Amino acid sequence: MATRHVAQAGRPLMNIVRMKGVPILQQLEIEECLLRTSSDNWCIINDGADKPNIVMGISGKPAELVEIKPVLEDNIPVIRRFTGGGTVIVDHGTIFVSFICNKDDVADVQPYPRPIMSWSSLLYTQVFQGIADFRLRENDFVFGLRKFGGNAQSITKNRWIHHTSFLWDYETRNMSYLKLPKRAPEYRLARDHLDFVCPMKDYISRSDFISRTIDAAGRLFSVESTEFEAVKSSSNVNFTPTSRLLTNQELEAASMIAI
Amino acid sequence: MLARSIFQKRSCWRSGNVYRLFGRRLPASTVEATEMKPTVVGHFSTAASTPIKSTFDCSYKLYNNKVHYLSTSVAAALERVDNIIDIPLAQTGEGIAECELLKWFVKVGDEVEKYQPLCEVQSDKATIEITSRYQGKVIQFLHVPGDIVKVGETLLSISVDASQVPSDVGKSSPTSHPTEPSKESSDLSKTQKGETLSTPAVRNLANQHGIDLNDVPGTGRHGRIQKEDVLNYATSIKNKPAMVNPSSDKPTLEPEPIVQHMTNESLYQDKTLPIRGYQRAMVKFMTSAATVPHFHYIEEINCDELWKLKVAFQKQNSDPDIKLTFLPVLIKSLSMALTSYPLLNSTFNLEKYEVNLKGSHNVGITMATPVGLVVPNIKNVQPLSIFEITKELARLQKLAHENKLTPEDIRGGTITLSNIGAIGGKSGSPLINVPEVAIIALGRTQKVTSFGDDGNVYPVSLMTANIAADHRILDGATVALFCNEWKKLIEKPELILLHTR
Repeated sequence: MATRHVAQAGRPLMNIVRMKGVPILQQLEIEECLLRTSSDNWCIINDGADKPNIVMGISGKPAELVEIKPVLEDNIPVIRRFTGGGTVIVDHGTIFVSFICNKDDVADVQPYPRPIMSWSSLLYTQVFQGIADFRLRENDFVFGLRKFGGNAQSITKNRWIHHTSFLWDYETRNMSYLKLPKRAPEYRLARDHLDFVCPMKDYISRSDFISRTIDAAGRLFSVESTEFEAVKSSSNVNFTPTSRLLTNQELEAASMIAI
Repeated sequence: MLARSIFQKRSCWRSGNVYRLFGRRLPASTVEATEMKPTVVGHFSTAASTPIKSTFDCSYKLYNNKVHYLSTSVAAALERVDNIIDIPLAQTGEGIAECELLKWFVKVGDEVEKYQPLCEVQSDKATIEITSRYQGKVIQFLHVPGDIVKVGETLLSISVDASQVPSDVGKSSPTSHPTEPSKESSDLSKTQKGETLSTPAVRNLANQHGIDLNDVPGTGRHGRIQKEDVLNYATSIKNKPAMVNPSSDKPTLEPEPIVQHMTNESLYQDKTLPIRGYQRAMVKFMTSAATVPHFHYIEEINCDELWKLKVAFQKQNSDPDIKLTFLPVLIKSLSMALTSYPLLNSTFNLEKYEVNLKGSHNVGITMATPVGLVVPNIKNVQPLSIFEITKELARLQKLAHENKLTPEDIRGGTITLSNIGAIGGKSGSPLINVPEVAIIALGRTQKVTSFGDDGNVYPVSLMTANIAADHRILDGATVALFCNEWKKLIEKPELILLHTR
């Protein structure tokens, strides 16, 4: 394991898994399985989810975050994921990048939310250098004052995951499924979704973004490509994921409480 | 008044082993620490007068006594253990002032290793595992999942051996300095911005004696207040010279044993009870129930035949873990009546102006647990036998008692039954478990006189059923007809056999 872990120039090894159009629930299950059962470092990149899904944080309450009636009418899946954070609606225009690391392999980063968030922003600063006015504002990735990337984390005893959903593009009507959240970053200033977010496609292509992200990771880790199928098959063994799809009944019950 | 009725075992109530009472939640860990088996206790506020009201008052007093007893037991436990360490929610990041407790990975009584994960919390964007700095034994939880915990607030207490006590935890050794504290150390305890260094057990003890910890000089390291400090302080304020009896040179008041005595002042002190966990959920549900226009239909049901059936079942029962009561028969007969009147087994969606007739009869049973009122439901009663219902009921009660009900156990109820009569009271006014449209409260079975067909007076066992229904969906006639059907099945239980497939 030591040999595998530390490869070129003493940098720890990181497995890069590139996926395209994998359902977000499946991605979350794989990520949580890797976080809890693997001892390697991983970078999971999913270039677009298969169809629109609403994804809430671990303690998200549908009645407060989601317009339940249209969600039920239009059969939009609502998922509660295993990490904290807020609510997003993801679809084929969303690019997901997740880093799963041993804390000891990123020893200069304290295993707490803020230091990990800062670490990720430094990585993405390299990705967007010379391209856009990128910064980390509170907990969001923004161009100027408009959010294009949302972050969430889960920190365990020896490892952590930091995953980001990047809004490469979005459909306006999908935003109408989300409510204005009660807890919002200060810089949002009560803007509705369309005034608050911006698509990444105005700044960078999908392929450039993904390749630059892998390059940035390669400056910190010794990266090695791993096939999705290998990860997918190993993730089913003896693991019960926390992320799950909410049932229509739960959403209906939530809507009744909200009356 | 918003209230719910709760199932309860009468024998446990009589024995006085009352744990969970309406009011402040007792941590499950406290129950564990005293090695008593908490019983499922019911409490209900109803339109009935004195009996229920006195139960409430009685239950509150019992709570106070129980707290006293529990604290004594915990204190006794402390006498056997060298060190109790409070584990606070450590700072998890810049600017994070509080976290939501998501789940515990351990339970009270568990031995934990150093760096073993204890719980998971959520702060803003992150879920974080909190690990133990010490090897020891979990003594008490101070929070339940769903609670918002401030950074620095104690999450749980762990008992450790002396070798692990960190230097910053106060502990007085047998060779410590005299009990009279120096002015400097007492000043230290008072300068902690009103917060004194002490364990939860010591704070409980001080509370019982009506003592402000800020007035107690601590003799532990860094002014930490220990149990002996509280007891000594309590003794010292009681031993202040009393008025001398003119006929005697001796003071009229003698020192009293401290541990068993509660000061009068503590009985009249205000108490602030945080609403957490299941109680918080109850607040939410009751608030939504208040928007439903209820009407109540009351009927008396003759339980003589039901009683005979119960006795017959008990004679045939060979499983000591299964206790046969009226309730499974009532549940089964309820389900059979619902087959004829499915509107009572539905949910109402106001936004869509739709009634959803539920195919399964998922009958919820209200239960009081050490952490609050819960309503788990028995799924799909229709194909179940009475014995299967009995076993499932026992399973849910056991889980409720241990605070291990799963969301699946609680989700999906279609109608609720509340056996408030197990505690007492002739009848109750239950509130609907939204989004259901009906709930039934059963009063205590009472022996009363009744006229027979021959004009003679006979004793009968009568139980009052109060059906609360959503008047937007159900009208009086429908509920009355349903109740007639149900009553018929209870009073002639052989009909249950006749109609069972």
